[in-house]
Amino acid sequence: MAGATLQQRRRRVGVVALLPAMAIILAILAYPMAASLWLSLHHVALAGGLLQQDFVGFANYRELFASDTFRLAVANSAFFSVCEVVAVVGLGLGVALLLNHPIGRFGLFRVLLIVPWAIAPVANAVLWKWILNANYGILNAVLVQVGLIDEYVTWLGTPARALYMLLIVDIWKSIPFIALLLLAGLQKIPAMLYRAARLDGANAWQQFRFVTLPSLRTTLAIAIILQTLWSFKLFDLIYVLTRGGPADGTLLLNYLAYRETFNFLHIGNGAAVANVVFFASLVLAILYIRLLRPGGRKAAA
Amino acid sequence: MAKVELMGVTKRFGAHEVCANISLAIVDGEFVTLLGPPGCGKTTTLNMIAGLEDVTSGEIRMDGKIVNDLTPFERDVAMVFQNYALYPHMTVAENIGFTLRLRHMPRAEIAKRVEAIAEVLELTPSLGRLPFQLSGGQQQRVAIGRAMVREPKTFLFDEPFSNLDAALRVRMRSEIKLLHRRLGVTSIFVTHDQEEALSISDRVAVMNRGRVEQFGTPEEIYVRPVSRYVARFIGSPQIDLQEGEAVIAEHGSGFRVGGALFSLPRATAEILGHLGPLELGIRPEHVVLSERGVDAIVEIVQPVGPASFVALRWPGGLLTARAPGMSRLKAGEAVHFFVEPEQMMFFDKASGRRVLASPSRPEG
Amino acid sequence: MARRRRQQFANWAIGFSLALFTVWTLAPILWLVVSSLMEQQALTATPPDFSAGSFTLQNYAEVMTAAAALGHGLLNSLIVAVATTAVALAVGAPAAYALARLQLPGAGLILLLILATQMFPGIVVAIPLFIVMSRVGLIDSRLGLIVVYLSFNLPIVIWILRGFFLGIPTGLERAASVDGASIFQTFRLIVLPISWPPIFATAIFAFIESWNEFFFALILTRQNAQTVPLVISQFAGQYQTVFGQMMAAAAMAVAPVVFLAVIFRRSIMQGFSEGMIKG
Repeated sequence: MAGATLQQRRRRVGVVALLPAMAIILAILAYPMAASLWLSLHHVALAGGLLQQDFVGFANYRELFASDTFRLAVANSAFFSVCEVVAVVGLGLGVALLLNHPIGRFGLFRVLLIVPWAIAPVANAVLWKWILNANYGILNAVLVQVGLIDEYVTWLGTPARALYMLLIVDIWKSIPFIALLLLAGLQKIPAMLYRAARLDGANAWQQFRFVTLPSLRTTLAIAIILQTLWSFKLFDLIYVLTRGGPADGTLLLNYLAYRETFNFLHIGNGAAVANVVFFASLVLAILYIRLLRPGGRKAAA
Repeated sequence: MAKVELMGVTKRFGAHEVCANISLAIVDGEFVTLLGPPGCGKTTTLNMIAGLEDVTSGEIRMDGKIVNDLTPFERDVAMVFQNYALYPHMTVAENIGFTLRLRHMPRAEIAKRVEAIAEVLELTPSLGRLPFQLSGGQQQRVAIGRAMVREPKTFLFDEPFSNLDAALRVRMRSEIKLLHRRLGVTSIFVTHDQEEALSISDRVAVMNRGRVEQFGTPEEIYVRPVSRYVARFIGSPQIDLQEGEAVIAEHGSGFRVGGALFSLPRATAEILGHLGPLELGIRPEHVVLSERGVDAIVEIVQPVGPASFVALRWPGGLLTARAPGMSRLKAGEAVHFFVEPEQMMFFDKASGRRVLASPSRPEG
Repeated sequence: MARRRRQQFANWAIGFSLALFTVWTLAPILWLVVSSLMEQQALTATPPDFSAGSFTLQNYAEVMTAAAALGHGLLNSLIVAVATTAVALAVGAPAAYALARLQLPGAGLILLLILATQMFPGIVVAIPLFIVMSRVGLIDSRLGLIVVYLSFNLPIVIWILRGFFLGIPTGLERAASVDGASIFQTFRLIVLPISWPPIFATAIFAFIESWNEFFFALILTRQNAQTVPLVISQFAGQYQTVFGQMMAAAAMAVAPVVFLAVIFRRSIMQGFSEGMIKG
């Protein structure tokens, strides 16, 4: 290694250290991503166990945007994501504030927050399928006992109700982690700022508005973007609870992509839907990255 | 023991030039300090000498050999870092012996050397402890021990005392000086504390924004600063600088500042008169409070024990004087002061370079 | 006086809200455990029968013996999760160090790529991946799952560890360099030993993610390599469901991971939230 500058030496080692990881990531993710894009430009059919590909340009996409099912899925996804993000981040902030208060400092609450996150989404789905069971589910039993409803409800029986239940279940699972994230952000706010505000005569609400919220802006933005991205990824719940029904009422884009590809074997179409989801996610991901850069943080702070 | 030479060393980070054309010739066995405020490039220079940073252009030689592309280890340098940089998961003994372990020295031999060093630095009882269990001063000594065990040709110190409290800092200075005398190894020391630099170095390189303003002995730096920057940086409290003009007359030549005249030999005043706009520099310790001289009123008296710093308001502005002991002067008192011509320093207002002072000191 | 009242009311309101939140979060989980211990008859009564006689351990017994699929699934999940975690760390830690310290050109771009891979649903890569996997014969194999899981656990490992490595004071590595350590030695002898907590947290995290993963398990496995999430979903798909058994299976699937998460919650939260917020 004689004759190499310090910089060069370090670079060489760095490349070697990075190579295996990059190889794996590129091979297993980058390549399929590109292939998926390519596939979406083809009409793919399985004939005798083989894949037949005919290049059709953007025909799949045109078909897609004209299709009612796709439009329904987009509407459902938009509605779902917006509702979920607002509820999760809003309620999550509330929980975080509660936990930041002296009364909420018990370790028990932190334990509580990590459990829903750790439960496998599938297991969560199975649990809630049981809770929401039309005949024997505990939700029905409790509500009837308490007197809020007269008879048992098929919670997943109509499109609207099913979508709302889907929302509630995923909100239940998502709040804790976002709350923990926001809590971490809250705890970074120096106590000094609150003291100064109090000296200036600010009451609790004013302190929240002028100290807490501004300091939390970046973390909030990050929470919003992350939760939105996660809402795009929702799959396990739909698969177990509704399979997209009833009447495509809980059909979200991600599940639509799966259904087209693996149930109907419209591989080209499925790839097209998947890519639509991908680009939506990409835009958000770029936003997220911008926020993390020092420049972004200064702009938000 | 090594002779260290920097020739035209420049360091750029992208477009930003941190060190510009630094040339220093350090003699074998010398104790040299790089002195300057934060951001002047002294630590970067040290890192380049160590081999922890690449040189953008220029050469670094040790014992005549170009070492630009050698690792720190290959350059046979050892370094004591500002925050000690002790390995937190290793005991004191392991910290000191780490470099020997890397060289695959037999364990018994390592133990022997480590114990020898520990004894010199009075660390023997701490050998089995972890860094966080030690005091700041002890950690400092472990850092020094880690450097010493290498028996290097050059010692490098990166502001090693800045994290110590004042009393300990002063003590460590004498310890370092003793150590240097004992070992006689070429040492390069970085600090922003001018008193520290003056007290322990053979020569000091005063740095300003990536350049070496002056490289000389402590006496040269203090008595014959080459520029306004050096004069201001060295000496505490800071030297007073005032604009003024030379006055040439039959009787009463001198340098006029504000309404007051500092008398000078006529020949000196004539020389000064030929130069451009000038500034007069007076060190507080050269302001003599007496019966005669310039009128002044005492503004503030700050007694610090062995001396008192008296702020005087005089027609030319505000001046600080250093009075011996705990002064009895009170604010508002009227006093007089004068300055010996030999102690006056004149600086060209535009360039900041020091110009010829008085004929009694021909070399300025 | 009024201020005191307001303060008391505020405290009461906070306490009540916390209690409400606790019930809201705890109730479903509690029901999971409770119903797993109840007999089918008790559960299918309207309303459910909570008398003493309804409780039993039979569900767990049944699930463990009769439904061999669960045991098989647990084994598969264990192997896949452990292997994925081990390789992800072995490959990811050096990569993270390289990105944090070794001033690589295009490091920014690489980081972007890593972040981007976290941001989209599996369906985007599922089809081509499925095609390639079938060609290579890795369908319904644990190895296939491990490879795929690696691809999305690696980025997380790299991201979190890189964040941590950036925080280590550079003085330590410089001292090691001066002491004569190569970059590799510095990494092995200095950086790694002081990095155990985040490495551990990352390992737990990767393990949990691998254990809970469903989508790729659904697509890429058939009989042999079924993991626990898949087995659980099949339970729920049956018509004649013994609800207690379904819950017992779910409980067993979920227990190890919840246990780990609760024990290491501090490190997980620290590593994750710092990684997500700080970047």
